Amino acid sequence: MSTRDAMRRLISPGSYVLFLFFLAGIWLTISPFAMTTQPSGSHWIASTVNSVTIGALMMVVSLLGILGYMLFALRDLIRETQAKQAAEQQASQLAE
Amino acid sequence: MQTTRPTLGKYICGMAASLIIFLAGGWLILAPFALGYQSYGADWVSQTTNSFVLGICVAVVALISFALFFSSLLGSLRVAGVLIAPTRPVAQAPAPDQVQATIPQAPVQNQSDLDKTLATLAAALAADLNARRQTSNDQQSDQAQSMVNRSETK
Repeated sequence: MSTRDAMRRLISPGSYVLFLFFLAGIWLTISPFAMTTQPSGSHWIASTVNSVTIGALMMVVSLLGILGYMLFALRDLIRETQAKQAAEQQASQLAE
Repeated sequence: MQTTRPTLGKYICGMAASLIIFLAGGWLILAPFALGYQSYGADWVSQTTNSFVLGICVAVVALISFALFFSSLLGSLRVAGVLIAPTRPVAQAPAPDQVQATIPQAPVQNQSDLDKTLATLAAALAADLNARRQTSNDQQSDQAQSMVNRSETK
């Protein structure tokens, strides 16, 4: 299996969408400060707390989703390769 | 022969993440009104507009992401043979020889990589055995020929 095929199996189309959520989470986290709705030097207002909390949640969940998918796909890939190698060994033993 | 075991963990992982983000998008839509920083009847403040627009985008794209992971899960289950692929209705009844030609194609499509590897190995093994038999037959025939030649010379 080539590297390209392996990467295709490790990264699904849904993972790209999850990466978009990661970017959206970054924007949500910095938006109160970028849009200057949060007065500097004062305590965070309710909208800032909400935006930062939800943005951080989205970043964490999307990263966990991407990494979780990659880990499970990697495990499947390793299992398949091991099964192929075992089958090849059995076939070579039979041939001998 | 189905040798691949469907592993659902990666799809469930992606679907769970999409579902959580969908709920977060729904909360982003409701938050300005629930937390009270957007008063009813007044013009929307910039936080409300940002939160509302982003919440709608996040919720819609989260549904798309969920659908992508779900379709990948269905595809994996079809490959593993758990689900049967939907068959399209045939407009015309095919001829009997065409039916015989199309029947073996369905299992071939569902074959896993492992099955293909095993089939290739079995074919190589059979070819190797045939070659060995041929060489042994040739050697036996050569020996018999030499014995005949010796007896003729004597």
